Amino acid sequence: MAENSQETDEQLLDRIGRDVLLAQERKRGVLAFRSAVMFMAPAAFIVSAVLLFPVVYNVYLSFTKWKRFKGYDEFAGFGNYERLTTNHFFTEAFANTAIWVAASITLPLLLGLGLALLLRNVPGEGLFKTIIFIPRILAPTAVAVLWYYVYAPDGIVNWFLGLFLPGDVDIGWLYQDNTITPSIIATFVWQSVGLVMVLILLGLAAIPRDPIEAATIDGATPFQVFRHIVLPLLSPTILVVTILSVLAGFTAFDLLWVMGTSYPGQRTLSLAVFMYFEAFQKGSWAFGSAIAVVIGFVVLSVTWIQALLQNHIDKMTK
Amino acid sequence: MASSIDDLDLKALVAAERRNNRPNWPLAVLALVISAVWIVPFYYMATSIFKTTEEYSQNHPLSLPASWHPVIENAVTAWTNAKMASGLLNSMLYSTVGAGLAVFIAALAAYGLTRFDFRGRNLWFMLIFSGTVFPLQMYLIPLFFTYQGLNLLNTHAGMLIFYTAICIPFPVLVLRNFMNGLSREMDEAARMDGAHELTVFLKIILPNCWGPMTATFLLQFTWIWNDLLFSTVLANKTDVRSIMNALQTFQGSYASTGPNVVMTATIIASLPSLILFFLLRRHFMEGMRISTV
Repeated sequence: MAENSQETDEQLLDRIGRDVLLAQERKRGVLAFRSAVMFMAPAAFIVSAVLLFPVVYNVYLSFTKWKRFKGYDEFAGFGNYERLTTNHFFTEAFANTAIWVAASITLPLLLGLGLALLLRNVPGEGLFKTIIFIPRILAPTAVAVLWYYVYAPDGIVNWFLGLFLPGDVDIGWLYQDNTITPSIIATFVWQSVGLVMVLILLGLAAIPRDPIEAATIDGATPFQVFRHIVLPLLSPTILVVTILSVLAGFTAFDLLWVMGTSYPGQRTLSLAVFMYFEAFQKGSWAFGSAIAVVIGFVVLSVTWIQALLQNHIDKMTK
Repeated sequence: MASSIDDLDLKALVAAERRNNRPNWPLAVLALVISAVWIVPFYYMATSIFKTTEEYSQNHPLSLPASWHPVIENAVTAWTNAKMASGLLNSMLYSTVGAGLAVFIAALAAYGLTRFDFRGRNLWFMLIFSGTVFPLQMYLIPLFFTYQGLNLLNTHAGMLIFYTAICIPFPVLVLRNFMNGLSREMDEAARMDGAHELTVFLKIILPNCWGPMTATFLLQFTWIWNDLLFSTVLANKTDVRSIMNALQTFQGSYASTGPNVVMTATIIASLPSLILFFLLRRHFMEGMRISTV
């Protein structure tokens, strides 16, 4: 007994045999891993086969030259990407996409924040919230069909403008180069601002009252309170909301596809539409996959920036 | 003490209090105007479906319909011309089976990721989760080719395989976080008693995960129900296409006799997800919340 109790871990290990213990440990690890793989295999297999393999295949395709009827492909280096830079449809689609990104960074956030602050000071907050949130439940396709008619030459937008403008207003919002993108962006904001507002309201509700009351007692104006207390505490929510809007705006397809049906320059509405056009209507598969890679590159960069900012905010709040 | 209370201007205090509680009328009017922008399109849609095509084209877009009867004819026209029956059935199949399978497979994976100690757990998680990192556009062309090669284009099976796959990664993230928070005592006890891992999963872990599983199921259900892009690319034939594809095709075709009919089709296509939302609002909101945290 006495001898045993004085035995150190080292001696114990020597007596039983280090190798045996290590082997047991390893065996347990292998068993655990084997069971875990049984559970993870379906998910890992399906995701790899149906989602990750296509991504790799897409990148490969973008470096090939595709002969339409032969199905024969040969390595083309950056040929498809060089073609992109000289294609004026691509340039226009890229410019429109840039407008979408700029609009989806600013508009949903500003409007959502404004609505959230407004609704907090108005009776019947719950009702207003529901009304503004409802479009979010509808499919983008359904919203697009509805607004296609709202923007029609004899639709309600023109009727409303006719109340203030002289003469018959029959602007073809969805037929003209300079109005179609802002019009569809307005519909996008109409649909998506409800969620942004709800998220900001959740963020506002989580802000403690004490510092706000303390500042008010010390004579801070409402604007100062908002600028120096509410806004910094709200920044994690703002970051999430902005990234969600940017990604949604950047890859928007349904709205543009349905609302742009009768617009002659539909392919230039955004990179997502241009890519669909090239690949599935013209059959330029390799060229289309190069556009998809450009879209992927931008989306991954945005996600990466989000991760960096998130880290930064986490560090500041800790 | 008494004097300090006397010093206070009680009337001013009460007035200030009342001022704070009184509704701010300019702001209330602003809120009303803003909500009109949200309501008017819905009012327009709701009244248009009760008009005949003639009535729609001759009257003001916001005028009230003469009677409610035309809605029946509109619905019948929309139903037959847009072939909504097959679209609705297909979308019902894709949404329930696709989202259901995806959440179950995700729960299995989350169990594997949280209940066993092995090296490279994070790597496995990253592998599965990376399925949501890429934009949808990167899947389209390769999937189209692969499906063509495997004869999966325009098949229910092909659509189900894709929808299941795309809906797996997000529930894995949610359920992994949730299962990490579940106490391990119960499943350790069952394991000591010699229960098989699958039994532990089905009998102990799964019953505790209904909340997040319902929330993620609803989110993925709506995603599949609303999808237009993948049905357009992978299943364009009438008997396999999704309801949103049917709606979009109908709107763009000559078969649509007038906006009143197309709007009726839009409402029919949206009803199932709207009903689901109002029945299960709490779970939806929970889903929205967890999807952004």
